[in-house]
Amino acid sequence: MEHPTEEFIPYIIESRPDTGLYNAKFGIWLFLASEVMLFGSLFSAYILLRVGSFSWPVQSEIQNVAIGAINSVVLLSSSIFFIRAWVALKADDIAKYKKFMSLVILFAFVFLTLKGVEYYQHFSHHEYPKTSVFLGLYFLMTGLHALHIIGGIAVNSFYIGPGLKLREINKQWFINRVEVAGLYWHFVDLVWIFLFSTLYLL
Amino acid sequence: MEDHLQKDEFKRDILIYFCIIAMTGLIVFISHLQLKVAGIFLIVPIAILEAGILGYYFMHLMTKKRTVHLILLLTVIVFVTLLFWPAWDVVYSPRTPSEFTKY
Repeated sequence: MEHPTEEFIPYIIESRPDTGLYNAKFGIWLFLASEVMLFGSLFSAYILLRVGSFSWPVQSEIQNVAIGAINSVVLLSSSIFFIRAWVALKADDIAKYKKFMSLVILFAFVFLTLKGVEYYQHFSHHEYPKTSVFLGLYFLMTGLHALHIIGGIAVNSFYIGPGLKLREINKQWFINRVEVAGLYWHFVDLVWIFLFSTLYLL
Repeated sequence: MEDHLQKDEFKRDILIYFCIIAMTGLIVFISHLQLKVAGIFLIVPIAILEAGILGYYFMHLMTKKRTVHLILLLTVIVFVTLLFWPAWDVVYSPRTPSEFTKY
């Protein structure tokens, strides 16, 4: 049985014929476009400040590259787990879906813990955002990214908890929602690839 | 049939996963070589390639509708324009020492 909302809001499950996308997917891509602009403006600020400054630190010397690289693997692994969770959900295997989604959340926490370790190391060396332009940008950009990770954890936790009730109303609706959450998660991973190479290695 | 397709997709995803990890290892290695400007010209394209592969396969950009491509194309155009707009100012302004730009 269809949810009553279906009668009032079209294309929440089926794709619109003109865009080929259902509402949530269209919405998430617009949201991700705005996110590209948000992070893009920070990368732009980084480039301009670096080009305009007389000296710049050798980033790999003041950064913990090993932790950054491990975090890349952690976040990439969580992306793979998300794909497995979505495939399991489509196959109606809820136990497997919950298992993989829990792994996504666990790896997100591992990422945040390692990021916390890095921050602690910086603070213990008296390196704060006010210390230099580079460190200001580093804390701003990685902090904003960490907030996105926290947002992702909240959404993913919702979809293995109370959000699962939506599946009882309409399975496809729920699958679509999880797919959209997955797109966001992969985007967060994608941003990290740029953050790691820009703030740790260049 | 669908099960086979899913297994094939899983194999592909795992391959992509290790490919991106290998590229991450490669850029870390290049960074250790301390190539300075040459390093930037090596690391940045590899990072873009990594992100591109992730978007293409994991975010299924390869199979997405034209609407998504259009949204992304417009975003890239606006972003690149805004990115290089201030470059004009940087190129034609004399550099002045200040506390702000000092490391």
